[in-house]
Amino acid sequence: MNKVVLDIENLEKIYPGGVHAVQGITFDVKKGESVAIIGSSGSGKSTVLRCINRLIEPTKGTIKLNDEIINNPLADVNEIRSKIGMVFQSFELFAHLKVLDNITLGLRHVRGMNKEEAEKSALEVLARVDMLDRTEAFPGNLSGGQKQRVAIARALAMHPEVILFDEPTSALDPELIGSVLQTIRSLADEGMTMVIVTHEINFARDVADRIIYMDKGLIAEQGPSTIIENPKSDRLKQFLSSMNEEK
Amino acid sequence: MLAVENRIFSWQGIPKSSRIILISTMMVIVFITPNLADGYYESSWNPVEINTDNNYNAVIIDEEGNAWIFGDGGGIIFGENIEQWTQVNSPTSEDLTTAYANEEMIVAAGKNSSIIYKEYNTDNWIEINIQNSLDVNAISINSNNEIFIVSDNGEIWCFKQQNWIKIESMVSENLYDIVFEGEKGLISGSSGLILGSEDSGESWEIRETPSEISDSDIISIDLYGINRGYAITSDGQILKSTQESLTTTVGYYWNLKEIESENLSTSLYVNLTSIEVLSTTKILLSGEGGYIALSKDGGNIVTPQLLPIKSDFTINDIAMKTAFVGLIVGDNGTILYTENGGEDNAIGFEIIDLSDFSEFVDFTKDNLWEGLKATVKIVIFGILLGFFIGIALAMCKTAPTTLKQMIESDLEKTMIFFWIITPITIFCSRIYGIGLGILALSSIIILMSVLNYNINKNNTDNEGFLGYSISNKYRTIIIRILGFTLLVGLPLNGNWEINGGLLSIYSAFSDFHAFHLGSDTYKLSAQLGYIFAPIGNPDAFFRLIIGLGLTYLGLLFSSSKGDFSKKTIYYGKLILVALFWLIIVTEIFVDSNMARNDITTGHGILTTLGWRILLIAIGILLTKRILPEKLVSTTKTSADYNISIEPWKIRPLRTIATLYTDFFRNTPLLVQFMFIHFGLQLGKHIQNIGIDISHDLSILSSYLGPLDNILSPIIDYITESLFGPGKRSYLSAIFALGLNSAAYQCETIRGAIAAIPSGQMEAGRSIGLTYMGTMRLIILPQAIRICIPPLGNEMVNLVLNSSLASVIAYTELTRQGKLVVAITFQIFWTWGMVMVAYFVVTWALALLLRRLEEKTRIPGLGISGGN
Repeated sequence: MNKVVLDIENLEKIYPGGVHAVQGITFDVKKGESVAIIGSSGSGKSTVLRCINRLIEPTKGTIKLNDEIINNPLADVNEIRSKIGMVFQSFELFAHLKVLDNITLGLRHVRGMNKEEAEKSALEVLARVDMLDRTEAFPGNLSGGQKQRVAIARALAMHPEVILFDEPTSALDPELIGSVLQTIRSLADEGMTMVIVTHEINFARDVADRIIYMDKGLIAEQGPSTIIENPKSDRLKQFLSSMNEEK
Repeated sequence: MLAVENRIFSWQGIPKSSRIILISTMMVIVFITPNLADGYYESSWNPVEINTDNNYNAVIIDEEGNAWIFGDGGGIIFGENIEQWTQVNSPTSEDLTTAYANEEMIVAAGKNSSIIYKEYNTDNWIEINIQNSLDVNAISINSNNEIFIVSDNGEIWCFKQQNWIKIESMVSENLYDIVFEGEKGLISGSSGLILGSEDSGESWEIRETPSEISDSDIISIDLYGINRGYAITSDGQILKSTQESLTTTVGYYWNLKEIESENLSTSLYVNLTSIEVLSTTKILLSGEGGYIALSKDGGNIVTPQLLPIKSDFTINDIAMKTAFVGLIVGDNGTILYTENGGEDNAIGFEIIDLSDFSEFVDFTKDNLWEGLKATVKIVIFGILLGFFIGIALAMCKTAPTTLKQMIESDLEKTMIFFWIITPITIFCSRIYGIGLGILALSSIIILMSVLNYNINKNNTDNEGFLGYSISNKYRTIIIRILGFTLLVGLPLNGNWEINGGLLSIYSAFSDFHAFHLGSDTYKLSAQLGYIFAPIGNPDAFFRLIIGLGLTYLGLLFSSSKGDFSKKTIYYGKLILVALFWLIIVTEIFVDSNMARNDITTGHGILTTLGWRILLIAIGILLTKRILPEKLVSTTKTSADYNISIEPWKIRPLRTIATLYTDFFRNTPLLVQFMFIHFGLQLGKHIQNIGIDISHDLSILSSYLGPLDNILSPIIDYITESLFGPGKRSYLSAIFALGLNSAAYQCETIRGAIAAIPSGQMEAGRSIGLTYMGTMRLIILPQAIRICIPPLGNEMVNLVLNSSLASVIAYTELTRQGKLVVAITFQIFWTWGMVMVAYFVVTWALALLLRRLEEKTRIPGLGISGGN
């Protein structure tokens, strides 16, 4: 039985002003598992994700990484974050650095590697995402898909325990989505633990071991990827049908 | 470190030659160019060619304006009008050493009883025989046309009615000089002897001289009118006598002059031979070794003057026809005349025609160039200072560290700060001075940060401090104790006393109250005078601010229950409204007893009434604003009357930075210049600190053996050019400009930081970088590129604002302009040239910034990302 990497209990987040973004979420992620979180806008998916690496501080609940509570005020936030990788919807590459330096930044300044080691590591990771031909380019000269792959490489380079994906393909046009999804798929196949928030239902069904459907800040339904074909709750049915209509 | 090519301003990106040029230009401008061009001087003495090498001992100008020079072997040279020089037949072949001329005759005398005279209408010199054999040291004629001579062994002889009569001197010292003015006579001699006579030389008495010269020979003495007497000793000392009172005329009291230009020594360290008094304060001195010196202030500052040819021959005598035209004579055929009062000619101050533009430019370009260099010096340092402080301030203002984080997550560090670091700093400052206090503060902080970083590197859980952390159950108690100590402080005695918040506020208020700036009535408006109290006692103001901060923190901490959420002040709004009305009512109804500082003292019933109506109107508006619409309503809950505040959300760094920027942005730069230079005297203090530091550095380097020979001159040179005398306004100007600019640059940089998408900060933090790390590596490199245009604006402002440094007497370009206008009166040209100079400097700066902007462009960032 794989050990639990991420354990979230009763996560709650109330924004000042009274918005109940997340109202009590409980789930866990085991090692090597990929969990997809789907849901309509405003259901609290991104908030959950950001709470996990404490970019947003939860108002209630506990988050455990490898059985250590990480959301108490005394914990070392930076150490925790270096063990959790994150890939953003808007890529957030460092525009003033070349692709290679984007990756080596974390390695050199957080892990303390020297330049050669860092570059070697970076090149390995870039090979995994198939971006070796553009290592000297600036992010401004890359296409969306390429940027996202570099972002994935950047998160990978830190050898995190778990990678969080916040709608990785939402900002890409359809042709470019494919390459990014392929990268994520290969990561999943290699056994990377990940939590993906996405709108790509088909992708979630193919890649994820487990799917969580969130609605209005609560988990409406949870289960293996078969829930896409056979949704149990009404809300999920409604959601899926509306997604299908768009397609 | 970022790869070389990617740093904001890549040093290696600039070609090597340009780098060298850049660095050397800056060093030259800042260090090597001397301030204020020295003019060069040439001698105003011109040699007279006589073609003899005789030693000339005495020179006089007679009543007809002709010069007579007397020398060894009886040689006499006649200078008609000091232009035509001829040798004259002399009746004697003895050395002639002294001479004198009055309206009737010219006399000269010397060794072996040689005494000669000549009347004006004759051409021949006639000898006067004297029965005794003596060497005449000095000869003079009194107002009765009687000739006096003095010699060694106290001998004074007077020639009246064709006979030599010996005058009783009652001294046995050698007498060296004699001078008459009216009925006054003075004789000087060896062993510090001065004799005076008030009866044209009939009788002489000893005059008092300073005991310091009791061993010196007073070899020359001279009077100027009845106001001034000067005497010199062969040891190079100058004595001065003035009219002491209505009853004591000149010549009675003699004072040894402390010569300022010799660091207040009484001696010039030259064997002087003669003194000539040109006016009450202007004297010429001659001496051995080709020495001729001028003093224009009665001997305070004695400046040796140049001779046209380097000669070491003793100058023996001086004779001035007017204040400007005169002669000096000396050994070995030295005869020199001057038309400039013997003063060196300063080249560059010759009279030129300033209404000719090319001559004007030629004349003024040195001044303006010096001014330009001075401006560039303060601008460079000002920009650097402003930029770095500006970045620090911007980071403080955007720092997210809240009070909650300081207490909750970093309790250990906060404790150490308040209980260890701060007291140590305060004690160090009290005992050893502020410099050491700051040093202690910085070194402790650095030491502890480094240690802490290394120990806590790989811990995910509670990092505490140096690996130690306080367990959960004690945290709240510790916080409360911390709060309590902040309120109370450490009330021990003397140096060991640290006032907590409450005591600081109390002492500050009592100090302010001692000024009595408001009247005794219970009105707010009567106390308005206290707005100036901080200036009256800045120390108390400081204590007040710190006291308020500490009290706030202290109250907050000591009432903490471990939760850091918001606090509610129940019925706070009602209380606030009640307070306002209380103030308004006291303003209206409490009597103004015509006391000082009371703004509502009525000038008539209508005005007073007007004030009152206005106050009531304000009160009503405030009430409507604060309280809910209907004061009494069934649907309102008590919660509507409450004020809720979030005291833990305060960000201390941001508060401190805001205090700084608010001060510098809300006062005019001109006033800041004057306050900093004349009020705070910052230049003087920094100069002293700099001198102390360099002194310590020199001592340190003296332990380094051979390295010292290289380091010492460098340290001395840098000290001289940065902290030397006269650099006070330089330092003040740099600081005023830099500190002011920092406040504005802070806002610019903050705007640039805010322009960076928040996702960048998120991305940086999600790979595990600290806040500072993300700032340094990700946000700031991008932000600085964004803020280059507005910063360029700021720098141009700085260059132009540097012209304000002219009010603190720093000779930069504007002040040089003023000086040039004062000398040349060419207002349009001068200021026109100054304007051109400023334009060139700022334009060059703008070009530089344009180039910088292009070089540091990031593809994809900013509007100019594409073509």
